[in-house]
Amino acid sequence: CILHCFLFLLVFGRAIHAIARISDEFWFDPIEKGLALRSVNSSRSAYAYVFFSSMFFQHYCWTAVSQKEKQLSLPCKLIIKSVLPVFRCVNVLERNVEKCSIYTNINDHHITFQLLCKHGVVKTYNLTFQECDPLQAVFAKHMCPNILKVHSRLLADIMIHFPTSQEEVTLAVTPMKVCFKSYSEEDTDFSKTMLTEIQLHPDEFDYFQVGVDSEVTFCLKELRGLLAFSEAASVPVSIHFDVSGKPIAFSVEDMVLEASFILATLCDVEKETGSQQPPCLSQQQESNTEAVASKKPLWNGSAPSAGAVKPASPLAQQEMKNIPGVTKREVTGGAALEGAAESCQKVRGLPVSLGNTQFLTSKYGIFQFHSLFFGAVSCKEKDAVSHTFQSLATASDTEEEFGHVQSSQV
Amino acid sequence: MRFRAKIVDLACLNHFSRVVNTIAKLAKTCTLRLTDSKLYFILADKVANGGVSMWCELCQGNFFDEFQMEGVAAEHNEIYLELVPENLSRALRTAQSAKAVKMKLTNKHCPCLRVAVELPSLSSSSRIVTHDIPVGVIPRRLWNDFREPSVPDFDVSIYLPVLKTMKSVVERMKNLSNSVAIEANLSGEMNLKIETDLVSVTTHFKDLGNPPWASEDGCQSSAQGRDLESMAEARIDIRKLQQLLAGQQVNPTKALCNIVSKRIVHFILLHEDVSLQYFIPALA
Repeated sequence: CILHCFLFLLVFGRAIHAIARISDEFWFDPIEKGLALRSVNSSRSAYAYVFFSSMFFQHYCWTAVSQKEKQLSLPCKLIIKSVLPVFRCVNVLERNVEKCSIYTNINDHHITFQLLCKHGVVKTYNLTFQECDPLQAVFAKHMCPNILKVHSRLLADIMIHFPTSQEEVTLAVTPMKVCFKSYSEEDTDFSKTMLTEIQLHPDEFDYFQVGVDSEVTFCLKELRGLLAFSEAASVPVSIHFDVSGKPIAFSVEDMVLEASFILATLCDVEKETGSQQPPCLSQQQESNTEAVASKKPLWNGSAPSAGAVKPASPLAQQEMKNIPGVTKREVTGGAALEGAAESCQKVRGLPVSLGNTQFLTSKYGIFQFHSLFFGAVSCKEKDAVSHTFQSLATASDTEEEFGHVQSSQV
Repeated sequence: MRFRAKIVDLACLNHFSRVVNTIAKLAKTCTLRLTDSKLYFILADKVANGGVSMWCELCQGNFFDEFQMEGVAAEHNEIYLELVPENLSRALRTAQSAKAVKMKLTNKHCPCLRVAVELPSLSSSSRIVTHDIPVGVIPRRLWNDFREPSVPDFDVSIYLPVLKTMKSVVERMKNLSNSVAIEANLSGEMNLKIETDLVSVTTHFKDLGNPPWASEDGCQSSAQGRDLESMAEARIDIRKLQQLLAGQQVNPTKALCNIVSKRIVHFILLHEDVSLQYFIPALA
């Protein structure tokens, strides 16, 4: 297909920078309606999706190429590091650059970014892309019991109180108040760590709905990119979340663009079960959500050590353990899989089903992360079977696709 | 042991923040001493600090609207805490528009200085930002380590040049050498000298003036009877000097230094309600 468009550089550049915080590569997916950018981090605990409708561009031209396999779009992967220089110093760009064009040509596997600058200077960046399977995540935003909506300025004003080195942050809500606080692992030396907490009244939010008291802990670093992006686009931010363990989604939307950053949240799980337990187990606790929400993480001095070196953050734990590829999937055994399937079905419309690789990490400690599931929808039959999900909905609307989520577990 | 304090006035808050910022630039860890009338930020001269020491004194009444403390015992009504001033600086940094800032000593998981900033918000109730800064309580038997340093028996005392100028000179010299020699005489002349294999640079300041020191017991100090032109010199670590100068956010009312030849340089920076003394030992 051919994509050819001019853009509002600041917003587009900020989107690229935001995605860069998630991963080193991203999916560049032009479709008829507009351009979608997607990214997932290596531990599958953060997913970013930015969609620019064709109206965002001064000129948008997309032509489908007919192929033997009926593919509606051509997703391809780009390395972020190659794209970032194009949009470096976004603030300066707008002053110097008059137009930016993006051309794709699938035949020679190149995407071209061309910046037409002042004084007749033309900068052309030819980037190679890899063809790949599409990436999409399933997340039922409208099924979340807790929804907050606030202007991006307010969110930035809140996050500024945390040091830039702060990795994880906990959002705790009750119908009466909202609190953001810095999070430390159970083995942190409190005599050396400064903790920050911000309390707000529900009135400060443009929209405030708390269906269930909860405390969710997520990675702040990954979010900061979205905050900068939404400030540039000057749109309010919606936060959809549930209890701990279930993902939290930060999304923005206006007439010409939408973006969602879906982050995994820390899951408090009792470690008594000892043997491998499917992380989905914690989802069974959803029935007594009060208990889950009010349960504080257990600050045992001795976190169970799996003999491995403790990584910097619980999220990073995931990163180290989640590498096993396709082959190891079967190792975990059917039993664990079934358990997961059952518990997932108990949970209403939960998109957070786990890639099987998750099971290998469940013993790691008191805390685990639910990672988001990303099925690579592929035309190859073999792959489709080994992935637990067959069909995925787009990140923002997930109505009809639910049925598939549960039934495709085998 | 209890401590509670509150700042409501924005000007006082900014002033206090600036003091804390200066301290944070000079020391990674320091001692905060609280008495019922004053606060002190102290850095004792230990090998770990490179021999520098610092004594900063503030009158609490000039900053706090409320200030209550109870020391370890009635006859020792003081509190000594070890803390990282950068943490305090950070907590105050985002309090620029605060309605009030409260500080108190707590002990939940460990002793902390809790700084609660009340910020204006769009809703009826304020936004509250709380920072728990971990502190170490220094036991009374160690309090002797933190006594006020006495003014050394100096050879020359001289007012410093305009700090901004001195700072930019020292910053450029820092690129060329690790140490700088400060020399001054009783005629108001001061030189900053660096010398390397390739280059030597000297910056001359004159007409600085020498502060009058009344000798306490009437006997001759080293400074008296001294030849007015003769220079007293000490070679010190240039980074320490640069840190001191870079940390000054406001021009002091008075700035002077006392030089003990080849031993130590004692800097005194006075503002209206804050005094800062900084000692940099001479390099061997």
